[in-house]
Amino acid sequence: MPEARSALREVLPKRGQLSVEDVATLVLCKPKLLPLKSVTLEKLEKMQRAAQETVRRQEMAQREEPQQ
Amino acid sequence: MEPLLLAWSCFRRRRFERCSELCAELLQSAPAAQESDSGFTISQAAWSLKTRALTEMVYVDEIDVDQEGIAETILDENAIAQVARPGTSLRLPGTSQGGGPSPAVRPVTQTGRPITGFVRPSTQGGRPGTMEQAIKTPRTAHTARPITSASGRYVRLGTASMLTNPDGPFINLSRLNLAKYAQKPKLAKALFEYIFHHENDVKNALDLAALATEHAQYKDWWWKVQIGKCYYRLGLYREAEKQFKSALKQQDMIDTILYLAKVYLRLDQPLTALNLFKQGLDRFPGEVTLLCGIARIHEEMNNISSAAEYYKDVLKQDNTHVEAIACIGSNHFYSDQPEIALRFYRRLLQMGIYNCQLFNNLGLCCFYAQQYDMTLTSFERALSLAENEEEAADVWYNLGHVAVGIGDLNLAYQCFKLTLASNNDHAEAYNNLAVLEMRKGHTEQARALLQTASSLAPHMYEPHFNFATLSDKVGDLQRSYVAAQKSKEAFPDHVDTQLLIKQLEQHFAML
Repeated sequence: MPEARSALREVLPKRGQLSVEDVATLVLCKPKLLPLKSVTLEKLEKMQRAAQETVRRQEMAQREEPQQ
Repeated sequence: MEPLLLAWSCFRRRRFERCSELCAELLQSAPAAQESDSGFTISQAAWSLKTRALTEMVYVDEIDVDQEGIAETILDENAIAQVARPGTSLRLPGTSQGGGPSPAVRPVTQTGRPITGFVRPSTQGGRPGTMEQAIKTPRTAHTARPITSASGRYVRLGTASMLTNPDGPFINLSRLNLAKYAQKPKLAKALFEYIFHHENDVKNALDLAALATEHAQYKDWWWKVQIGKCYYRLGLYREAEKQFKSALKQQDMIDTILYLAKVYLRLDQPLTALNLFKQGLDRFPGEVTLLCGIARIHEEMNNISSAAEYYKDVLKQDNTHVEAIACIGSNHFYSDQPEIALRFYRRLLQMGIYNCQLFNNLGLCCFYAQQYDMTLTSFERALSLAENEEEAADVWYNLGHVAVGIGDLNLAYQCFKLTLASNNDHAEAYNNLAVLEMRKGHTEQARALLQTASSLAPHMYEPHFNFATLSDKVGDLQRSYVAAQKSKEAFPDHVDTQLLIKQLEQHFAML
């Protein structure tokens, strides 16, 4: 094995110039953890949805009435 | 079965609709005015029970409810210092004393604060810095900010509750003799809550409370707290403060402390609120709501590390506190420890929380913690649980990141497209799509997408910076410079932006 290891020795240039081109890359926006909702907020949203639903249904009913 | 008892039982079982129906029947059928031992007639009892049932249907915790309208934030004359010193105000997002993550890692909200792990009604909008921002932000579908808090949710819910009753409201407030009810403390308390929560008629509620506290000879702390609540809703913060303080002198209550702190936060005095909480903790050691209040203030002041400390204290007292777990979890995620974040979110799952947001977070944590087997199933679950288009959009957006991570750029492209199909205002998705377009060499498309992104979300630095880089590449130095300046404004410590500006300034100097 020692021969094999010496055969695969890494090469680190100690002399000469090492050049790295620094290219400005574009940035992605980061992944977004979604915040959990508080109980109050959930209840508010539920109530709001329910209210909108009732309003919609009443409007539908009103629209149908004149047709009859 | 005795109908009143049945109604009462329904109330106890939280079947409020049924309870209110039963009470209505009772009220219609039994005008018999036989007084029971307690000095109340059956109809009075039924009336009171119905008011309570109707209140419970729309009851939300007043401590949590807070919505600032545009008018309140911009025309705010309550703040003591217009230009506050760093670390003493909630208005200045950039005043963190270390511990705050940079926007390069953690996305920010419109006000430049890092996004948090938990939303409450009051954190939803955030405070916009300028009038321009304030008016602009409601245009996106997420944060519909009302013009004033008086025109916000309160009213919409109030009118809706009226609509549900075809024969008009249960109690006609304008014909009510408030003075008469104020004499009867037991009825008055139920009536007050009805007026305040169900009708949202703060002025009448205040009148009743004022009469009742007079009747109680200013000895009942409960009425003082209610008056304080009314003043708060009316925007008379200093008066509210007086009432709460006076109530606290009579009776030491955690609720009152929380209300008082809310007043201080509205007056933009976070340090006073912190002191108040700490005094409260001396009297109620280990109280979770107080600890949580402190943590929230630290978080809002961008002092994430001490917020995390307090959230940990909260968990020591109550290890099922969702807000604390979620906030600590998101902190770990954004400080490059997705494995630990995963444990927190799994804990939430064990506790029985089952919604889109949680599965989305689990999916992200799994992916970045290299547990690939769970990633896609979590996201699938999140998508199936999404309640509205915006939630689905966010899940697709995050899935796009997973696709970028595994190098499947086609999938990523489709994911970001789907995000935009669900939510047309998703600025992050526009930006990421632009980056993908750039890789394909479609400069013009990328430029258009970036412009959309930066106009939708001027608080993010990414679209500005990308636009600057792109313009720099095609030789449009003037535009590049303008965009770079905007990027610097959004994120002053961004090294690449600084380099770009320096480069551009050298160019201009040579001309």
